[in-house]
Amino acid sequence: MSKFMVILKREYIQVVKKKSFIIGIFLTPVLMAAFMLLPAWLAQKKATSSEMMAVLDNSGTGMGERFAEALETYKLEDSDEAYYVVKNIFNVEPGDSVKFKALDDSLKTEINDKKLKYFLVIKPQPHLSDDSVYVVTNSDNFTTLKRFEYRLSNLISAVKLEQTDINLPVDSVLKLTRRIDLQTRNSKGEAIPFMVKYFGGFIFVMLMFGMIVTYGSLVMRSVIEEKNSRIMEVLVSSVSPFQLMLGKIIGLGAATFTQVAIWVLVGVGIFFISGSASLDISSDITRLVFNPMIVVFFVLFMIVGYLLYSTIFALIGSIVNNEKEAQSFIFPITMSLILPVMVGMHIIQEPNSTLSLALSYIPFFAPTTMMMRIIFLAPTVTEYSLFSGILGESILSFIILVISTMIIIWLTAKIFRIGILMYGKRPTLPEIVRWIKY
Amino acid sequence: MYLKLENIRKEFDGKVAVDNLSLDIPKGIIFGIIGPNGAGKTTTIRMIMNIIAPDAGKIYFDGREVGDDFKNHVGYLPEERGLYKKLTLSEVMIYMAELKGAPASQTRGRIDSWLNKMDLLEYKDRKVEDLSKGMQQKLQFITTILHDPDIIILDELFSGLDPINMELIKNVLLDLKRAGKTILFSTHVMEQAEKLCDNICMISFGKKVIDGTMSSVKAQFGKNTVQIDIEGDGAFIKDLPGVKEMTEFNNYIELHLAEGAEPSEILKTVIGRVKVNRFEVMEPSLYKIFIDMAKVDPTESQRDDGGDNV
Repeated sequence: MSKFMVILKREYIQVVKKKSFIIGIFLTPVLMAAFMLLPAWLAQKKATSSEMMAVLDNSGTGMGERFAEALETYKLEDSDEAYYVVKNIFNVEPGDSVKFKALDDSLKTEINDKKLKYFLVIKPQPHLSDDSVYVVTNSDNFTTLKRFEYRLSNLISAVKLEQTDINLPVDSVLKLTRRIDLQTRNSKGEAIPFMVKYFGGFIFVMLMFGMIVTYGSLVMRSVIEEKNSRIMEVLVSSVSPFQLMLGKIIGLGAATFTQVAIWVLVGVGIFFISGSASLDISSDITRLVFNPMIVVFFVLFMIVGYLLYSTIFALIGSIVNNEKEAQSFIFPITMSLILPVMVGMHIIQEPNSTLSLALSYIPFFAPTTMMMRIIFLAPTVTEYSLFSGILGESILSFIILVISTMIIIWLTAKIFRIGILMYGKRPTLPEIVRWIKY
Repeated sequence: MYLKLENIRKEFDGKVAVDNLSLDIPKGIIFGIIGPNGAGKTTTIRMIMNIIAPDAGKIYFDGREVGDDFKNHVGYLPEERGLYKKLTLSEVMIYMAELKGAPASQTRGRIDSWLNKMDLLEYKDRKVEDLSKGMQQKLQFITTILHDPDIIILDELFSGLDPINMELIKNVLLDLKRAGKTILFSTHVMEQAEKLCDNICMISFGKKVIDGTMSSVKAQFGKNTVQIDIEGDGAFIKDLPGVKEMTEFNNYIELHLAEGAEPSEILKTVIGRVKVNRFEVMEPSLYKIFIDMAKVDPTESQRDDGGDNV
């Protein structure tokens, strides 16, 4: 067995047999799923208990009563009980500000005491200004607010209609209006909902970011540990520094891919066992996950991105004396990985803008930027070209990344072999540059 | 020559660490490199180990320039030592030997006998961090020689060793020498070097100042040292003709005689003045040579014709 393999094997086994590795395999997908699914699940939670509310109608139009009536359509799950129980409707004449103030205050107290969840205030002339109708509550429930909005819009239309001389029943007017939720379809005619692409991109990028930072920093820690415990000199008297560096990077990289491979296998297994039709969003996700371009480039960018960043982590490990010193270097590294995520909204909305393209060709940003762009653009591709379009750009970005990574490995190897034997003072930049020339 | 250093030179940021140093180390001997701190011993050893490259000069092992393949033939104990604290003794030993190209299967058979020899057998499956510092030193020594190297290089071998472990390791080294291994070590503990070395080389300010077999080195300094043990005030001895230098120790006086001075003449004079318990003409101790030579100003030695031989 070559020495490179001896080091690779040790670094691999050292990580894989750790409890944290095995826990990580189970915990990460669970946390990720929880992170993604819990909000959705909570939002869809079935209503099982009524919510108390009141109406303070200062408009003199009787709109409050009609609102309460309209809310009766919302029932609790599997029962006839009302979801919204309107305890009181207070009608205050417009202009009676003393009474309005007193009621307003007492209702606010009830909200604070949690006796009421909402109370609706309708000020005079509700149809004229958005400020004159509002809900007082301490919990902004998205679904409830949507419902109120819908009902109130209808009521205001009715109030407006009554004040004109159009002699038509309110219902027939409302029947004429309809709101639309605008859907998008790509040039292939497919409709992958924005949220699916957004979360798809998010998962891919976070997975890549998480793996690169976690295992890259393990490379750094491993180097620092060997430096600190003074094993380094014995090691480099047995193997070449380059073998040592590469053995570590690839050994820990193999551990990374073991983890990802287990997730992918388990994920694919679950997918087939559960049957692809059991989830309604699954067909959209399937189109993302099984898009060959997304999968291939995810693997390629992950491998080379890991090589690039773990080499830089090895470089840092070789020039610092302890992890505390390393902290100041880690921040810019994580920033360069996360920057594309921070401008992610822009990349997603304008995947072909100059900024998006520029980030694609800067090696440090390329892996995460390209993942987001590919996820948004690859499903729309109708004709693949090796020299243009998203495929051509991905290939160019990848080639730039590979070449830069090779240059960085070459430079790091030169600094590494000197740095690992330097203890004490942290080297200055000119000193490091001199090491390259040794 | 088994290991040969040819005019090697190393500078660090304009400061000369090793200056035009040549050494010939024959097979099967114990070779000591001595010298004060900062003399260039560790730099020399690191260059032999191919950890740092010399600026000039060449190093040959067994007729070939040292390179990566040399690494498997050598057992190296650096001055800065350490082991993986979280591994067990046997894991560390197997891994270190594997890095030297010795397969695990082969190492496993040797572990027990070495641990036994070093009184560490009961800790075989314990973690390194459970060992005391002295035990870790012994373990480190085992990992240095476990892969059965042809040449063993030990930098500051005796630092941090108590007398018992020192004796233990000294005996192992003598065994290894008998088995035909070559041993090169550096130290500034002269007493140990004196007892152990066949050949010796002293470096000062990066230059070689003494080189040769132990006996030839001592002969070079001549039998001009006298130790006397007297009762009474010996201050007058210093001024006797032929006495170049006098050092008073607790129990005796050491004299260094001028060239051509006759020890018996001095004895005659001294005997007439005080009671003499002992009078011995002897070779200078390595310690004395070391102290004398370390004082040599390198710029001065440069002036008198290179000054790498005294």
